[in-house]
Amino acid sequence: MTQVLERPVELRSPATPAERTARRKALLEWIAVHSLGVAAALFFTLPFVFVFLTSLMSDSQALSRDLIPHTWEWANYRRVFDTPGFLTWWKNTLIYAGLGTVLTVVSSIPVAYALAKFRFRGRNLTLMLVISMMMLPPQVVVIPMYLFWAKQLDLSGTLWPMIIPLAFGDAFSIFLLRQFLMTIPNEYVDAAKVDGCGDLRTLLKIVLPMAKPGIAAVALFQFFNAWNDYFGPQIYASENPGAWTLSYGLESFKGAHHTDWNLTMAATVLVMAPVILVFFFAQKAFVEGVTLTGVKG
Amino acid sequence: MTTLTLRTKRRRSALRTLAFLSPWLIGFAVFFAYPMISTVYFSFMHYDGFKPPTWSGTKNWTYVFESYPFFWPALRNTLWLVVIMVTLRVLFGLGIGMLITKIKTGTGVFRTLFYLPYLAPPVAATMAFAFLLNPGTGPVNSILEKTGIPAPGWFNDPDWSKPALTLMFLWGVGDLMVIFMAALLDVPKEQYEAAELDGASAWQRFRFVTLPNISPIIMFAVVTGVIAAMQCYTQPLVAGKVASGVIQGAGTMFEPGYPEHSTLTLPQLVYNLGFQRFDYGSACVVALVLFALSMAFTALLMRRRGGLIQAGD
Amino acid sequence: MSARMPEVVRKAAFALTASTALLLSTTACTGQAASGASDDASKEQTITFWHAWSAPNEVKAVKALVAGFEKAHPNIHVNVVGNMTDDKINQALRAGGSKAPDVISSFTTNNVGKFCSSGALIDLNPFFKKSGIDPNTTFPKAMNEYTQYQLDRCAVPLLGDAYGLYYNKTAFEKAGISSPPKTWSEFEADAKKLTIPQGDTYKQLGFMPDYHGWETTTEHYMGQFSPTYFDKSGKSTVATDPAVTDALELQKKLVDDLGGFTKLEKFRSGLGDEWGPKHPFQTGQVAMQLDGEWRLGMALATKPDFEIGVAPLPVADDQADQYGKGYITGTIAGIAATSKKQNAAWEFVKYVTTDTDAVVGFSNAIHNVPSTLDALKSPKLTYDPRFKTFLDIAANPNSTTSPASVNGGVYLTTLQQLGYDYESGRLTDLSAGLKKAAAQIDTDIAQAK
Repeated sequence: MTQVLERPVELRSPATPAERTARRKALLEWIAVHSLGVAAALFFTLPFVFVFLTSLMSDSQALSRDLIPHTWEWANYRRVFDTPGFLTWWKNTLIYAGLGTVLTVVSSIPVAYALAKFRFRGRNLTLMLVISMMMLPPQVVVIPMYLFWAKQLDLSGTLWPMIIPLAFGDAFSIFLLRQFLMTIPNEYVDAAKVDGCGDLRTLLKIVLPMAKPGIAAVALFQFFNAWNDYFGPQIYASENPGAWTLSYGLESFKGAHHTDWNLTMAATVLVMAPVILVFFFAQKAFVEGVTLTGVKG
Repeated sequence: MTTLTLRTKRRRSALRTLAFLSPWLIGFAVFFAYPMISTVYFSFMHYDGFKPPTWSGTKNWTYVFESYPFFWPALRNTLWLVVIMVTLRVLFGLGIGMLITKIKTGTGVFRTLFYLPYLAPPVAATMAFAFLLNPGTGPVNSILEKTGIPAPGWFNDPDWSKPALTLMFLWGVGDLMVIFMAALLDVPKEQYEAAELDGASAWQRFRFVTLPNISPIIMFAVVTGVIAAMQCYTQPLVAGKVASGVIQGAGTMFEPGYPEHSTLTLPQLVYNLGFQRFDYGSACVVALVLFALSMAFTALLMRRRGGLIQAGD
Repeated sequence: MSARMPEVVRKAAFALTASTALLLSTTACTGQAASGASDDASKEQTITFWHAWSAPNEVKAVKALVAGFEKAHPNIHVNVVGNMTDDKINQALRAGGSKAPDVISSFTTNNVGKFCSSGALIDLNPFFKKSGIDPNTTFPKAMNEYTQYQLDRCAVPLLGDAYGLYYNKTAFEKAGISSPPKTWSEFEADAKKLTIPQGDTYKQLGFMPDYHGWETTTEHYMGQFSPTYFDKSGKSTVATDPAVTDALELQKKLVDDLGGFTKLEKFRSGLGDEWGPKHPFQTGQVAMQLDGEWRLGMALATKPDFEIGVAPLPVADDQADQYGKGYITGTIAGIAATSKKQNAAWEFVKYVTTDTDAVVGFSNAIHNVPSTLDALKSPKLTYDPRFKTFLDIAANPNSTTSPASVNGGVYLTTLQQLGYDYESGRLTDLSAGLKKAAAQIDTDIAQAK
C-alpha cells in the first residue's frame, strides 16, 4: 500500500508539458497494469480463500450460500484428523514422497551426468528415449505393469509398485538434471580430470556441489509428483486402505462425508498446505526448475 | 600398441558410460520396453484376468473403434481440450506473463500469488473447484445469481463441464507464466528501443519484436500443452465422480465421464476397460492409441530446432 | 560400423530378452488353480473379509456379526475391511496374493455371472454337501436363484433387499392425499401436489425422479414393469420389451412435470448424501422416495419431525392386479478362488449366511430382509410393522430382479446411459436409442465372452 502511494508523489516534480504528458501516460499505465494485476491476483487467490473460509463453517452453514462463516469452527480440522485413516494417509504419502524422492535423485544423477558430459554413440538416441518416457502417460503401460506387480510379485495393496521404479531413474528428473548439468562449463570437468580425478570422483566432488540448485529442483518436483499422484495409488494401493495416500484418501473422504463440504474443504486445505509451505521455503529452486524444462533449449 | 590402448580406452569408456546409465537401462527395460511389448501382445488377446489369455486377433481393435461406446466421445473431448483449453491456456499464460513483467510494484508478491495455484495437488484442486462451482451451494453461483448473471451448471452440465475444467486449468497457469516471463525478459531491450524510435505502436512492438522472439517458447507451450491435454486423467475423473454424487457408490458401478460422457478422456478409458470392465485386451488397444498420439506430439517437440535437446556439447 | 556399435546391439538384445522373459512368465502364471480346498479349518488363523457397508450403524453391525463368529470359532480370526466397492473387489479377486480377501461380499448381484463363469469365486456346492445343508430348502427361491449362474453356485445370499416407496405422511395430509399411490398416474398426480416451489428451487419436492438420485436407477424403475432384459438365446430385448419403454417414458414424464431436468439437477446438487443424516427424505426436502428396506431404520434413527409411511411402489395402470411387487436384490457373499484358507473361509460364510441367529441378528441390526427361510420365520426377528411391507415384496411372486450376465452389470450401465440421455432431453427418439442400446449390449457381451 505504501508503495502505491509513493509513486504519484515522486511524479509531482515540475516538468515540461511534454514530460508531463509522458508522465501522465506512465502513471495511467501504472494504474492500468496494477489494476489488472489486482484483478488477476483475486482470480488466483479467491478459490483458496473460499475453500479456507468454508473449512471453518459449521456443518449446516456449509450447505448454505453464505460466504463468511458465522462461527469459526476450528474443530473441523480436529475432526478431519480424527477421521479413521487420515494419519495413515499422511504417513504413506510421506513415505512415498520421501523415499521416492531420495531414490529418484540418487538413480537419476549418474544417468543425467552421462547424458550431459560423456560423448558416446547413441547418446542422442538415449536422450530421445528418455524424453519419450517422460512424455508417456502411466496409463499406457499400466495393464502389464499391474499384472507384473500384482500377480508376479504380490505387491498390490502396497506402496512398492510406485516406489521401486523410482530407483531406476525417473525420465523427467534425468531430463531436468541433464539440462542443468549442461549449463556447467566442461572446463570444470576437464580440470578435475587433469588433476587425476576419476569420473565418479569428478561427479561427486566437483559437479554435484555445483549442481545443488538443479538437484533441489528435481527433488522438489519429484516430491510434489508423489504427493499429487492419484493414478498410482488408485491402481496399486486402492485395495488396501492401509496403503492409501492423501490424494487417494481425499476422494474417499469426500465419499464418506458427501455434502459435509466444511470437512472436505478442511481436508483439502490439509492436503494443499504442505505443498505450499514447501514452495515458500524453496521458491527459487522451483521456479528455476520450471524455466529449465523449456527455456534453456 | 597405440591402437590397442585406444581400444582399451574405448572399451573402458564404454563400460563407464554403461555403468552410469545402468539405472536407467534397467528401468527402460523393465518399466518401458517390457510393458510396451506386453501391451502390444495383450491387445491381440482376450484376457479377463481370470482365465489364461487366448488369441483373439483384431477383435479388441474392432471393438474399441467400432463398438466401445466411450471411445469416440473421449477422443472428441480430447480434441476439445486440445483446441480450446490449450489455446486459452497459452494465451492466458502469455497474458499473465506479460502482465507480471509490466508490474513494477510488489512484483514478488504478485508472482507468488499467480504461481501458487499451479502447485495445488490435482485432487485437492478438483475438490475445491467442484465445491466452488457446485450449482446448488457453491460460492461462484451464489455470487453470479446475486449479480443477476445466469449461473451455469458447471460440472453437472455436459455443456459446461469442459469449460469448468478449463477454468480450473487456467487457474493453474503458473508454469506457463514462469516460462513466458523468463522468455519475455530475455527479449533484447535494444530491439524495443529501435522499434520505438521507428514509431512503432504497442501492438506493432508486440507483433514484430516480442512475438518473433518468444515464438519458440509459444511452440513449446502449445506442444507440451497438447500432450498434457491428451493425458488429462485425474481432474476430469475426480470432477465427474464428485459432481455425480456417486463417488463411492457402494454397489453402484461408476463409469467415468459424468455428465453424459462429457469429461471422458483417453486415459480414463484404460481405467474403465482395464479396471472396471476387466477387458485387459481392449484396455491395451486404447493404451496404444494413447501411446501413438503422445509419441507423435513428442516427436514434434523433439524435431523443433534447438528444442528439448541441446545441440552438441 | 565402429567398435562402439555392439554396445547398442547388446543393449537392445538385453532389453528384448529381459522383456520376453518377463512376458512369458506373466502369461504362464495367469491360469487359476482348480479349487481343491485342503486347508485345515481347525488351526489358528486369520481370514480377510471384505464388505461394502459404510454407514456407521452398518459397520458396527458387521463387527457384531464377526464377533459372534469368532466366539463360535475361537481359532479363526477375521480381518474385516469395509467400504470396498465392486471395482476393488474385482481387482483383488484377479490379483490374489497375501492382501487379497478370502471372503468377499458385494451389494450387487450383477457380477455373479462373471464371478461364477470365470471361476473367480469357487463353487460352493461341494461345501454345502459336506456340511449337510441343502441350499434349496435354506434360502428363499429368488435369492437362491440370483446367487448361482448356470448351476454353478459361487455365491450365497447375505440378507436381501427389496425396493418400495417411502412417503412423508405429514406432507401427504397437508396436501390432502389420504393413501399412498397404487398406480403410476396416481403417483404422478401426488408428486405434483406435494411439490412446493420456492424461487427457482423447491421448498419441498414431491419426488426426485432423476437417475442420479441414488436408488432411482433405470433398473429399479423397470422392476415395477417386469422387464425380461434378455431372450432365450441371450440377446438383449430392451428394444422390443414394452416394459423398458414404459419405464423410461414414465421417468421422463416425472422429470418434465416436476420442474424439468436442469432445475431438478440443480436442486439435487445441494442435497445431503444417501448414507448420511441429511438425506433429503429425512430432512423433509423430498416427500416421496424410492428406496430399499434399509431406509426405514436409517430414517427413524434421525428422528424426523414427520411420520414415515411405507408402501410398495406403484405399478402401471393396466397392471393394477400386480400391485405389491417390487425390485429385489441382495448382498451376496463368496469365497475367492485365490484364497488359501477356503475351508476356514467356508466356516465363516456358513455362519454368516445360514446360522439362523446370526442372520436374524444381522438383519435386526441393519434392517435388511433376512435371507434364510428359518430366519424369516424366527420369533427373534424384530421389526417395525411397516417393515413387513418389504418382507411381502420380497415374497411376492411378481417381484423381479435383473438377471446375471457374463460381463456383470455392463448392460445395466448401458441402459442407464441411455436413461441419462433421455431424461436430459439429448435423446428424443427413444426407440432408435433403445435399438442402439440393444446392439451395444449384445456387442459388449460378445466382447466379454
